Amino acid sequence: MNAERRRILLVDDEAVVLDSCLAILEGSGHEVAFASSGETGLDMARGWQPDLVFVDLKMPGISGLEVLDALRELDPTSVSIVFTGFATIASAVEAMQHGAYDFLAKPFTPDEFRSMVRRGLTQRELLVERAALLRERETLRENFAAIVSHELRSPLAAVQQNLFVVMAELDGSIGDAQQERLRRMSARIGDLLVLVNRWLRSFSIDISHMREGFRPVAISGPISAAIESAQAEAVRKAVAIAGDVDPGAVVAGDEGALTEAVLNVIGNAVKYSREGGRVVVSAMRRDGTVEISVADSGVGIPTADLPWIFDAFYRGQAGASGASGAGIGLALTRRIVEAHGGHITASSDPGQGSVFVIELPAFDAPVPGPGAAPPEQVSKGASG
Amino acid sequence: MTERKKVLIVDDDPDFVAGIRAILDREYDTTVAYNPRDGWDALKSGRYDLLCLDIMMGRGAEGVMLARKIRRDRELREMPVLIITGLREQIAFLFPGQAVHPGFVPVDELVEKPVEPDLLLQKAAALIAAREARQPARVP
Repeated sequence: MNAERRRILLVDDEAVVLDSCLAILEGSGHEVAFASSGETGLDMARGWQPDLVFVDLKMPGISGLEVLDALRELDPTSVSIVFTGFATIASAVEAMQHGAYDFLAKPFTPDEFRSMVRRGLTQRELLVERAALLRERETLRENFAAIVSHELRSPLAAVQQNLFVVMAELDGSIGDAQQERLRRMSARIGDLLVLVNRWLRSFSIDISHMREGFRPVAISGPISAAIESAQAEAVRKAVAIAGDVDPGAVVAGDEGALTEAVLNVIGNAVKYSREGGRVVVSAMRRDGTVEISVADSGVGIPTADLPWIFDAFYRGQAGASGASGAGIGLALTRRIVEAHGGHITASSDPGQGSVFVIELPAFDAPVPGPGAAPPEQVSKGASG
Repeated sequence: MTERKKVLIVDDDPDFVAGIRAILDREYDTTVAYNPRDGWDALKSGRYDLLCLDIMMGRGAEGVMLARKIRRDRELREMPVLIITGLREQIAFLFPGQAVHPGFVPVDELVEKPVEPDLLLQKAAALIAAREARQPARVP
């Protein structure tokens, strides 16, 4: 990495400083560029992506501090060092608060400058390395659920496979009650497998490839399917699900993934509803978008939790009221919605209920007749 | 009575193998290899009427490598293969842009784990029959 040619940008309005710096760096093996104002310096930084930037604090036009801010925004791993003509502690501290790594007081000797270049480039290496590690950790975190589900799946499949065999082998030689117990064991394992499979499927969604398979989908289809899937749990909790869906609301998308996305939100609404509560699912076309909203009158989401609910593995406080889950559903929903070019938002009145809104770009071309869900299938006013 | 057909199972999960072997043993002579390398050795040294292959062995898709090797082998590629996978979609994940059932060899089928005993026997019988229909069995 040390042998690599690095890019150093000098931003200073004093030609004499630029000249001497260029002379010192000559033969260093690094690429060097310079700019005599903050504006041109930033322009160059955008296209050239320097590893290290020296910035003069006092320049006409935009100040060195503003340049520092912009550089940090441009590339958080870039390293900036300020030249300061008046080496007061105050100006140096201020520059460092704006993201400068260090400062060099003018006038400086060639050795001081070289040493600062070395320090700056070392810091750049560390920052780049750290960013890569963070990205890796993020990828691992994102894929964690997929890995875990896969690991869960294998033992479950092995147990189920052997249960199948044992049940067949014991058929006729054990009592009805024992047979029933085995049947129930197998059914519960089967439920677990379905659950793990659902996670795995959703996490294996390859977003770029999912897009290739997009076709017009009347949103009533996924919504009806999702309501139907959520119905069992809703009936158990005596929660009524009402649907009000515009038959003309069509999006370009993947029907299965959209069902998954909507189901997670409806399932959540049912989960956090009180007994005898009501969940209202509506979908309508509004200008260029299809807006799906799911409103419940449940326990609501504490304001402090709202920003995090779409992150994987986040579970709200409300979980204490008997709800269970792994905090994956909403994260998946967001992934799916974003893959469709849409976005999801939530608002909540703690104690009064929550409203989730999914907005998807509307599909404008005429809906193909066969194959697409017929609009008549809209579950209007359906309730548990 | 005709001779029992020979089935090779290649799967790295001993418990799962026990579960399908108990079913296949009812009708076939079964042999097991617990990793792709032993599986390949078994295929080259013996003759089997059917291969049950776990596609997701090890950390990656070592079963897929074995399937590719089989496809390149002029003799082995004619053998019917029952592909056993954790999840159908994983195949799509491994072969983006291809059909969920990639068709590794001329005669193959795909089942998900766990597999119902009747379904397993039915698929095994169908694959062996399909192979025999493709060309008459060779005289040993």
